[in-house]
Amino acid sequence: MNVQVGDSIPDWVMESVRPERMRTMAAILRDPNPVHWDRKAVAALPFGLGERTINQGPLGLSYMLNMLMDWAGPTSVRRVTVRFPKVVLDGDHVTASGKVTAIREEDGVRLADCDIWLSREGESPSLEGTATVALPES
Amino acid sequence: MADIQPPAEEIRALVGYEFPGGKYTVAHWENFLLTECTGSEPLPDGLVHPVVLFHMPILGANTSIGGMFALGQAESDFSIGIESYDWEIERPLHEDVEYTVTGRVTEADRMEGPRRHDRPGVYDRIQFRFELHEPEGDFAASSTITWTYRRSAA
Repeated sequence: MNVQVGDSIPDWVMESVRPERMRTMAAILRDPNPVHWDRKAVAALPFGLGERTINQGPLGLSYMLNMLMDWAGPTSVRRVTVRFPKVVLDGDHVTASGKVTAIREEDGVRLADCDIWLSREGESPSLEGTATVALPES
Repeated sequence: MADIQPPAEEIRALVGYEFPGGKYTVAHWENFLLTECTGSEPLPDGLVHPVVLFHMPILGANTSIGGMFALGQAESDFSIGIESYDWEIERPLHEDVEYTVTGRVTEADRMEGPRRHDRPGVYDRIQFRFELHEPEGDFAASSTITWTYRRSAA
């Protein structure tokens, strides 16, 4: 895999964040927080979010993992560190993006360090962080 | 949920707290549903989607999201914020493998930040670290979760 510092990782797009997936996720996670499955509970918060459920942080992170795995393979991700400046809401159209910041070798494996982020079109990132990915040999 | 602000000393004393620990095996159905939630097709060869590194360590360490809220004396579910998640994967995780899970509190402190909406800027920052090991004992992955617990009273 020919990768250079500065290369962009192909975007991964979630056309519309679906509330039913948040509900399934809440059940799998045993997450009691109603902001992920009760629109009225979100509307009652003093944050002006309206009647839209809040996507679980790990789900937003998963879109960036999907981007990395589509790019470098399903066993490629070695590390992700992500912060959450803004929430992602049901119905949002979000895009996971990334850029290679360094290439190095460790124990005979070529690794790419990357900046990664998830954002709504034209907005600053809702999630942002870094990733280390093992690059395939060919 | 707590209705008064806990003393800062109680929060700081959480450092070193260890969860009971235990085992966790990701079944195919769980991985299938989890992966579908991410918008991805199932991964090949029984690979577990790495997003599992949020809930699997928590449940495998014999705690829960609600239990972690309670440990930090959260005022409500709505008072929790995410600072960061840091996941390391030494060995890809697979379905039907029994992983050994340990977890503990690595950092805990009272913080002050700017006012946010109708709340004073006092919050507690608590960091949890979980580790997963394969049945033979090899390190497989870790998850470091850093949450903030907003406090409504100074």
